[in-house]
Amino acid sequence: MSRLLIVFLSVLLSSVFVQADHHIPNLGEKATEFKDDGEEAHKREGMSHAASLILQRKMHPELLLHKRDKTLRQGVRGGYVQLKKCVECHTSVDESGEFIPVNAPDQFCSTCHQKVGTSLDCFSCHRTTPAEEM
Amino acid sequence: MKELNRREFIKSTTVATAGVATVASGISLTTFAAEPKETDPVTNEKRWGMLIDTNKLTETDIDDMVNACQEEQGWGEETHSNADQKPSWIKKVKVKDTATQRISNLALMCQHCEEPPCVDVCPTNASMKREDGIVLVDRHLCIGCRYCMMACPYDARSFVHEELTNQKEHMPRGKGTVESCTMCVHKVDKGEQPACVEALNGDAVIFGDLLDPTSNIHQTLKRVQSTQIRADLNLNTGVRYSGI
Amino acid sequence: MSIIRYEQTQGKSLGFYALIAGLGAFVLAALGSVYFMEHNGHHVTGMSNHIVWGLPHVFALFLIVAASGALNIASIASVFNKKIYKPLSRLSGLVALALLAGGLMVLVLDLGRPDRLIVAMTEYNFESIFAWNIILYNGFFLIVGVYLWMMFERRMNKYSRKVGIAAFTWRLILTTGTGSIFGFLVARQAYDAVIMAPMFVVMSFAFGLAFFVLVLMASYKWTERPLGDAIINRLSNLLGVFVAAVMYFVAVYHLGNLYLAENSGVENFILMDGGIYTQLFWYGQIILGGLLPLALLYSPATKGNRSMLGLASVLIILGGIAQLYVIIIGGQAYPMELFPGKEILEGYGTIAAYTPTLAELMLGLGGIAVALIAITYLVKFLPFLPESLADNVADPHHKN
Repeated sequence: MSRLLIVFLSVLLSSVFVQADHHIPNLGEKATEFKDDGEEAHKREGMSHAASLILQRKMHPELLLHKRDKTLRQGVRGGYVQLKKCVECHTSVDESGEFIPVNAPDQFCSTCHQKVGTSLDCFSCHRTTPAEEM
Repeated sequence: MKELNRREFIKSTTVATAGVATVASGISLTTFAAEPKETDPVTNEKRWGMLIDTNKLTETDIDDMVNACQEEQGWGEETHSNADQKPSWIKKVKVKDTATQRISNLALMCQHCEEPPCVDVCPTNASMKREDGIVLVDRHLCIGCRYCMMACPYDARSFVHEELTNQKEHMPRGKGTVESCTMCVHKVDKGEQPACVEALNGDAVIFGDLLDPTSNIHQTLKRVQSTQIRADLNLNTGVRYSGI
Repeated sequence: MSIIRYEQTQGKSLGFYALIAGLGAFVLAALGSVYFMEHNGHHVTGMSNHIVWGLPHVFALFLIVAASGALNIASIASVFNKKIYKPLSRLSGLVALALLAGGLMVLVLDLGRPDRLIVAMTEYNFESIFAWNIILYNGFFLIVGVYLWMMFERRMNKYSRKVGIAAFTWRLILTTGTGSIFGFLVARQAYDAVIMAPMFVVMSFAFGLAFFVLVLMASYKWTERPLGDAIINRLSNLLGVFVAAVMYFVAVYHLGNLYLAENSGVENFILMDGGIYTQLFWYGQIILGGLLPLALLYSPATKGNRSMLGLASVLIILGGIAQLYVIIIGGQAYPMELFPGKEILEGYGTIAAYTPTLAELMLGLGGIAVALIAITYLVKFLPFLPESLADNVADPHHKN
């Protein structure tokens, strides 16, 4: 009986260490620059109404879906909620200076999506790197 | 309290004013910074349309229109698809009148019908018509059943037969969904004209608001003879042709 | 007519497992084809922007149409009170569900985005006959499921007539809806005809019964259970009537189109100079699928012969596939009349080419395999088949 208790407690305790994985996502080229400059996430000009980081993580599908219907079906354009704006800041650059697709493994989206195990359908159609004429 | 010296007074006031001015202007700079404001939803007060005058349109013109569309919307680079599978948002059609032997060249694209058969048949509402008359495919809902392609009387729609990359930022498109001419809705919403219209110099193709009595297209349609392709279907197309 | 006893099949013989394995191989091949087509995109198929629905859709629609027709036997028993068909009702419901499952599988797996099936089930455009069909297909599963329950559960038997009438009505609406998928398309000459809806209903009678007859004869032969001539002859006559009815509707459809000058182009194409489509129409649909089976079913030399009945059923099925190929693919291949009175020199207007690929064929065959595997398994797990259909058991008019 006590052996069982020991096994159970050790499994319980070890799960704590699993949670203590402070894996910082690969923020992408521009976003890392802003962070290093001391800026708060999503508080740049033009994002004054952006949701907090925690809310972003939880709600970004809903925010994007809601805006996408407004843009596509009603023609409402502008605002900061645009998939291409996320891509602008959160893509990384490789050694030769080329942008890496934002949905590639170990890039911004995948670092959370791989861990959480949800599928990422956006980039079968949406552009994965910032547009050249920037 | 320290005795206030005149020099001191001027120095401290200047510094204070300068400081306030800098900070104040800094604040106003950030509030006036270009926050991309959201526009209003479109309404049916406008109805976008096009008039294509085949008398003035040359074959080179149409080729320019097709190239402009490809450049703007990012199609045409599909390497795996064969000729029948490659997308064709706009194509050149050469028509001969069997009685008179007269040949016309025209550009054929989605006609943006008022009663679009493609919208009627789409099972998921992916094929839709905006309030201002532009017919679009909401690729998020498209399941790729291709029923709209069966239903379209103008062969306007294309199915994406292969994996795509390097899409244009404003035109997401992907494998397994249906697409067609969007009348460059991303440009129209900014007050510009579709790429195919801008590719031409003259007025062979006019674009504008059909409902606005002061617009070029409205007045031209009142003046010159024009027709819809397959007018007998009563679809009230947004794209009209004169000279055929 | 004595009490009918239903009994599960043994399902332990080598033959049974060989059948499952063989059909399973076809199903695996179909799944492999689906992976191939979905992963690479439809450029690996013969379908294009002009032939948007190809061989998979031919098979899918064939199975779906046959599914609603297979329910006929149960309907004739419950709704029209023909007692001789009563013992066959359970199998009829099973074949109907199995064929529909196979057909829908093929249809869904050919979608450009099959991962978006949930979208198709939740976002409805009620103006679209396609969306209505999705509701009708799902409802069919439900209603026939309930119908089977009424037949299996002794306490529920008294309700089976009412549910049978509901099922009959539902499947008529369903097949009308399937025909309307084409009949409502004004854009294409081959489809702009409301007669397609009732034509599909009558086609379902013939194809469904042909399938049912083959399943019945095979299952009784392979489980060595008696199957009397009384039932066989009735089914044989019924099949003949249905085939004749299909020929009638086909005749009316084509004659109607020929009469209308605006559709004479597509009629000439199908009936005379359409190459493969003309051959499939005359040799496949009319001769192989119509005239030859009628001869086999009614000619005194072959009437009553079970092998001939089996052959006739196979021919009807092949003819049905040919008919759907001509309708679906031939109808798309013929160009639309964009400029009446003018000739298009460039850009559009040629007969669209279509060469089916192996992947498409395997997907279609996989649908049939799924239907047959479902039937093979389920008759083992539940008592669908009467222990005996010998004349003294099944025939209500049998003189002992």
